[in-house]
Amino acid sequence: MTMAVAHLRLAGLVRHYAGSPSAAVDGISLDLPRGALLALLGPSGCGKTTTLRIIAGLEVPDSGTIQVAGRDVTTLPPHQRQMGVVFQSYALFPHMSASGNVAFGLEMRGISRAERARRAQAALEMVGLGALGARKPRQLSGGQQQRVALARALAIEPDLLLLDEPLSALDAKLREGVRDEIRALQQRLGTTTVFVTHDQTEALAMADLVAVMNAGRIEQLAAPEEIFERPATRFVATFVGRAARLRGQLESGGVLRCGGAALRSTTALPPGPAEAFLRPHRVRLLRPGQAPPPGYDNTLDAQLLRRVYTGEIVVLEADTAAGPLTAEMHADGEEGWHGLAPGDALRLAFRPADLAVFRAS
Amino acid sequence: MRPSWWLRLFAALGFVVLLAPGALVALISISAGDFLTFPPPGFSLRWYRALLSNGTLMSALGTSALLAAIVSVLALLLGGPAAYAIARLEFPGRGMLEAMLSAPLLLPTLVLGLGLLLVLQPLGLAATWPGLVLGHCLVAIPFAVRIMTTAFATVPKELEAAAWTLGATPLQAALRITLPNAAPGAVAAAVLTFLVSFDETVISLFLVGPRLTTLPVEMFRYAERTTDPLIAALAMSLIVFAVLMVALVERLLGLTRAMGK
Amino acid sequence: MTGWLLAAPALAVLAVAFLWPMAGLFRISLNRTTETGAMEAALTTESYAKLLGDSFTAELAWNTLLLAGSSAAVATVLALPVALMVRAASPRWRGLLALLGIAPLLVSATARLVGWMAILGDQGLINAMLMGSGLRDTPLPLINNWTGVRIGLVESLMPYAVLVLIAGLGRLDPRLEEAAATLGAGRARTFLRVTLPLAAPALLAAWLLTLVLGLSSFITPRLMGGGRVFVMATEIYDLALEYVDWPGAAALAMLLLGALVLLMLLRAVTTRGAGRRA
Repeated sequence: MTMAVAHLRLAGLVRHYAGSPSAAVDGISLDLPRGALLALLGPSGCGKTTTLRIIAGLEVPDSGTIQVAGRDVTTLPPHQRQMGVVFQSYALFPHMSASGNVAFGLEMRGISRAERARRAQAALEMVGLGALGARKPRQLSGGQQQRVALARALAIEPDLLLLDEPLSALDAKLREGVRDEIRALQQRLGTTTVFVTHDQTEALAMADLVAVMNAGRIEQLAAPEEIFERPATRFVATFVGRAARLRGQLESGGVLRCGGAALRSTTALPPGPAEAFLRPHRVRLLRPGQAPPPGYDNTLDAQLLRRVYTGEIVVLEADTAAGPLTAEMHADGEEGWHGLAPGDALRLAFRPADLAVFRAS
Repeated sequence: MRPSWWLRLFAALGFVVLLAPGALVALISISAGDFLTFPPPGFSLRWYRALLSNGTLMSALGTSALLAAIVSVLALLLGGPAAYAIARLEFPGRGMLEAMLSAPLLLPTLVLGLGLLLVLQPLGLAATWPGLVLGHCLVAIPFAVRIMTTAFATVPKELEAAAWTLGATPLQAALRITLPNAAPGAVAAAVLTFLVSFDETVISLFLVGPRLTTLPVEMFRYAERTTDPLIAALAMSLIVFAVLMVALVERLLGLTRAMGK
Repeated sequence: MTGWLLAAPALAVLAVAFLWPMAGLFRISLNRTTETGAMEAALTTESYAKLLGDSFTAELAWNTLLLAGSSAAVATVLALPVALMVRAASPRWRGLLALLGIAPLLVSATARLVGWMAILGDQGLINAMLMGSGLRDTPLPLINNWTGVRIGLVESLMPYAVLVLIAGLGRLDPRLEEAAATLGAGRARTFLRVTLPLAAPALLAAWLLTLVLGLSSFITPRLMGGGRVFVMATEIYDLALEYVDWPGAAALAMLLLGALVLLMLLRAVTTRGAGRRA
């Protein structure tokens, strides 16, 4: 048995900016195992980029420490940290060719010219740009520039790869492909990686671990499924994925009294005012009076308010005794949404475990 | 919205006021007459020939060209590091430093020139090369700092940050990454600083002497005494020179960007 | 601290070329000019008292203010359509128009004034047209007087006004005027009710800058005034180099400097206000 030792350990990072009342980074601590990909996910201004810059050494934390492979690097300047960074703007050196960019880090390490050229070429081939080494950055497309930036960061064989919104400057069509390529490359090389994004799909699709950040703090640090299925806080429930919000009174036994309805949940919270979040794709559509499938212990009679058809998905907004609810289903699924019109009566059902219940604020 | 005809008309009037003197200088400089007469009695290049054979003006031209070359190199060497500090580094008093380095541009050159005369004359430094160089540096350094600050600021900070993460020390990053990318700005700064020194009249008026004098000073004194097409030929030569220099800068990085702040 | 170290060479040169002469200027303004015209070291305000007690100084100051204020106003008004045109032009033309608008800045002042002499002189363009068309028998005196100085000064101040206005107007969204047009305002009303009020802070900033520059202008009054126009700048020059009355020249320069510093403080206050509104 080997102990899982954290490759990257952040402990109590705090960073205040002069003139700002609240901390940009307000006590970030986490452990990341070797070879894992961590996504820092959050809205703009949540401190995710500042956290990344602190890890890279581009910002100095007011307090807290950064350890890489058990070594404290908190006070090391960036050029001694051995971290590969892909900037949001790519920050390719415009006066150097693609291979010049990739070789720069090797040159700084005193590697001989021939060896530099060989390794730069290998890094470019790794990202599929072996033939374009002589081009200047401005002669490359956005996607190609992104790969050069990635090759440059990886060529120094970094202890840690840091990516700041690496896909945000790409066309939506390109993004998915590049996303999967980065993930495949990262897994192949086994490079421990921290990835900053505001896009939840990106975070869920790529990461081994997701840290949802808000106002300089980590709201939840968990695997993607855990984040999506069992949000730890109200913020995570609303920021990741969509959810209808139900407000009511929590009674003993996890029963949420909500308007005229009593909904069963699996919460262990004590009785009191509470709010619950329910993901639209967990809500099943039934005919009026139809019995719910096994396990779907919450049923609500409803009246259709609106139907939105988006091709693959159909969204139904309905009024229920518990308040407005949204149900979402595949357009070609078996549920009989065809022919439903606003005003029609229907029935909605969901499982108790699908309700994420929190104490009301 | 397309500009209205009224706007076009008034703008044209403004451009006429701005450009008429240059146009007239061009026309009169090829006049065959003896005075700034309009219309010229005929056309010839005699005044350009007269200009070339005017010993005083030609030797003043030599002085001015050498002076401007020395001053622009000095201003760049001294002002460049300061501009880098202002554009790139964060340190206490950065705003104050910027204000201190641009202060001389706020004051009239007449007062600056008088002050220089009053302190340099007793030391025997008036009408000497060191005195003139010092006087010109006074306006050239703030000017160079200003343009170089803009030039450095247009190079994204992230490039340096990227170089650091790749293992470059701050000095290596500044020299290998920022400096090459700010080079067009540095050339523009050199050209414009050269022009500033080459055209500087008022400070020089206080600092020249009978044996050391600059072209703008001699031109000013000539225009004070007499007005004949010789002075127009000289003015035209200077305008053409300035236009060529400005075109060079415009090609390099856009003048409006170099001047603006 | 690295920052101050990098700036140290530049600061050192400016200390010698700027602080020392300015301190010297102030010190010498407190010296005494004896009956024979020689300078005598002293600590006296005699030169100031002599200047302030002399009605010629008051006349000089008034003439200078009138010249600079009116020339700055005309330059600003003439620069406004130029700046608006630059803003309205297509991107292809904008750079060229802006360059033409500020081009005179890069041509020596004397060279441009020679051009004005050819336009305004007794045998110049305007008088040739006036007399050729029979409108006048004798040349209209447009040079070697206040008119000539004012025209020359307007032109030399205009590029600065154009620069300030381009910068100030550049921050205004052109869609504001399009919005006014869609709301039914004609060209004139759009200009008066939308463009002009929005441009007001920039116009004020342009006027104040050109006023400051105009107050200390020397070459234009000297060359276009033909020795018959006296302003503070020409008087400082004459006191220093013709009469070699250094304390007098220094004291007058200090008075001019005081006025300019006051104006620049005013400008800082108003432009900061404009920045807040923009």
